[in-house]
Amino acid sequence: MEGLDGLLVEQAHLEKKGSLQPAVDDVQKTIDLLKAAREKIIADPRSAGMTLAKLQNPAKQSMDKVNDDLKVVYKALGNYTKALDKKFKNASLPTAENDALSSHPNLINRAIAMHLLREGQFGVASTFIDEANAHPPRPEPTPGSPNPYANDAEEHKFAMDNIQSQKLQQEFAEMYHILHELRQKRNLDPAIKWARKNSSVLEHRGSNLEFELCRLQYVVLFMGSSTSDGGMQNTDGPMRAWAYARSEFGAFQGRYSREIERLSGALSFWSNMPDSPYRQTFHNESAWEEVAHSFTREFCSLLGLSADSPLYIAATAGAIALPTLLKMQGIMKTKKTEWTTRQEMAVELPLPPAYHFHSIFVCPVSKEQGTDQNPPMMIPCGHVIAKETLERLSKGARFKCPYCPQESHPRDAKRVYL
Amino acid sequence: MAETTTTTLNPDAHLLLDQPLLRLPLEVSRKNFKAAQRAFERERDALLSSLKAAGTAALSGDASAPASLESLDASIAKLEALKKRLATLAASSKQQSRNSRARIEHLGELYKIPSLVDVKYDEWARVRLDRLLVDYLLRFGYGSSAAALAREKGIAELVDVEAFVTCQKIERSLREGRTAEALAWCGENKQSLKKLGSDLEFQLRLQQYIELVRTQNPNKIKEATMHARKYLASHSDIQLVTRAACLLAFPPNTPAEPYRDLYSPNRWTHLTSLFLSTHHNLLSLPSRPLLHIALSAGLSALKTPACHSTYTSSSSNASSTSTSVCPICSTELNELARNVPYAQHSKSEVEHDPVVLPNGRIYGRERLRHVNEKMGTAKGMVRDPTDMKLFEEQEIKKVFIS
Repeated sequence: MEGLDGLLVEQAHLEKKGSLQPAVDDVQKTIDLLKAAREKIIADPRSAGMTLAKLQNPAKQSMDKVNDDLKVVYKALGNYTKALDKKFKNASLPTAENDALSSHPNLINRAIAMHLLREGQFGVASTFIDEANAHPPRPEPTPGSPNPYANDAEEHKFAMDNIQSQKLQQEFAEMYHILHELRQKRNLDPAIKWARKNSSVLEHRGSNLEFELCRLQYVVLFMGSSTSDGGMQNTDGPMRAWAYARSEFGAFQGRYSREIERLSGALSFWSNMPDSPYRQTFHNESAWEEVAHSFTREFCSLLGLSADSPLYIAATAGAIALPTLLKMQGIMKTKKTEWTTRQEMAVELPLPPAYHFHSIFVCPVSKEQGTDQNPPMMIPCGHVIAKETLERLSKGARFKCPYCPQESHPRDAKRVYL
Repeated sequence: MAETTTTTLNPDAHLLLDQPLLRLPLEVSRKNFKAAQRAFERERDALLSSLKAAGTAALSGDASAPASLESLDASIAKLEALKKRLATLAASSKQQSRNSRARIEHLGELYKIPSLVDVKYDEWARVRLDRLLVDYLLRFGYGSSAAALAREKGIAELVDVEAFVTCQKIERSLREGRTAEALAWCGENKQSLKKLGSDLEFQLRLQQYIELVRTQNPNKIKEATMHARKYLASHSDIQLVTRAACLLAFPPNTPAEPYRDLYSPNRWTHLTSLFLSTHHNLLSLPSRPLLHIALSAGLSALKTPACHSTYTSSSSNASSTSTSVCPICSTELNELARNVPYAQHSKSEVEHDPVVLPNGRIYGRERLRHVNEKMGTAKGMVRDPTDMKLFEEQEIKKVFIS
């Protein structure tokens, strides 16, 4: 694979040959010529005619030199242009056709502001919010929404008021504070405090976070200030861990009794931890990163937000999908066809598994995706088909499942939710 | 099989979005070169003819030594000015060259990344998002934000703050009803604009004419006629030129078309977008922000019918720790994605071993068991992790989705 190495070579060539500096230097040499002539005339006013006459040729040569310098630059630029054209010979620039968003600049601004806040770029975020409020963007028509001005004012209000940037910034500032304490200072207190404050919500979600944090705290106390190579310096570690467990683990007894028994059992192995069955729990290098990760996830979920920036995921997914999309548009243009439906894309855009979030239901009979209007229906045999398919097959009377011999009545079919 | 094809990274195809990144520094360098060449040729001709004249005059005894000196001094001053101009252009081109190198190296990284699921791709894609964001901010005139973000992320060489600052200045002047800045820009890029067949300069001149006529002041009207003769008469669109001439007969508040249109303040908006598209075209910049293009494609690729459904999706929602929130469902993008089409799928993709609860919610059997363990559900019971309803375990039913 050649990659961009060829281009890099051409660029190095351009860097060397494409500089305007030699031209600058040669103009200076011309200036020097003129200045020397000037000195001569001052020294001997009568030589003015001769000096000026003698200056003509050198001055012309000097200017020709500058011209040559420029020719070199011209050639270098030409070569690099050719190299670039060659590299991108099949790539046309994406056009306005691919832009469905120019009609919603305020919503994009909101997404960017939230992205900056969640990335912890508070300074940039507040500069941006000020700028965006001072100069609200103008929506531009796109193929999908040719007249975007209609609800623009409403959209702006919706976008920038709803962002509640102060509140969001406070939330994320807290998140970064807790993460900093966790990762850099190995301090669990702020995280435990947060988890305790949100204890009931977290438990409702089926989250283990609070217990995981407390368990790590127990391990930290247990190991004392010992290092991961197993050296023990602090013999009262197990005692302090024991005391911690007695005061804190009570609330977890119901859900985590087995795990707590296990942790208590470790007390008898403390002198020989690296060789004990508890090695996994007590010498887990990635334990801190793991709790930091689950903390971030829970924190964002409680705000109704995804753990990774949606703007990042969507822009990256877009870059991955774009080649397929452009290819399809190219084909449609040559065949002069249009999308048959505005609702669904005309082509499958392959994305890596990490970009799949929702389960997808495609009716095995009609090949249509399940929607609110045409939802997936489970018939009594356990097979699932789309509602419209069900209506078509059954016409309101008993019908045979398209996948097994069983017959049923459409009224026994049941809406399911993926 | 499907898994490997969706994670393959094809760097050449992937760089579609990034062509402008390499084009712009080259276009600026080319512009610099042309400016340097023009300035040089002008000064060279002036110098040589001035030297010749001074020499002839001195030799024929028509000029004194002081006159010769004066002529020399003038030439020296002009050359100094030329040198200064060339040095400025040289510095700009040098910076562009450095930017080009940094950009090629940045894009070249992509060829060393084995697949889309590699952690290095993630890092690379984050830098790309920062680039796209800065580009977006610049296009919308949020210069301080753009500069701050570029600084924070250390990507100054990968973005074009300066090119946009100039562009923004001219854009603003047009919005405020001034043509001078835009006309000066047309002057600088005369040849390139001619090559593009651009109408911009004529439209600006026409606007100047309209503004003169708008005053309805006899002196200004006279000036307008002169202006029209000088700048408009030679234009190829005879109809438009005639229309402009007839404008003299109509007052600014005329209801008669097309004159009402010519007087309309909307023409300034039109001029502004004409300038922007011409400017972007000249620098090989795409007409719309690349962030829009990437996001539009991304929203469609990710969007599912579930993202704007009135029912909560079992497989991705914020109410359970066992699922992750889908980016399209997240507050940031949900409204934005409302009007884009959803992704096409030709077959169902569901969790392994799906089961259905009496309320119709479908889960992967293993995930349901796992999350119930975490929630501490009592033995023999199962709790729906989305709506928290409690059922008996034997009510779970196998479901077949193909």
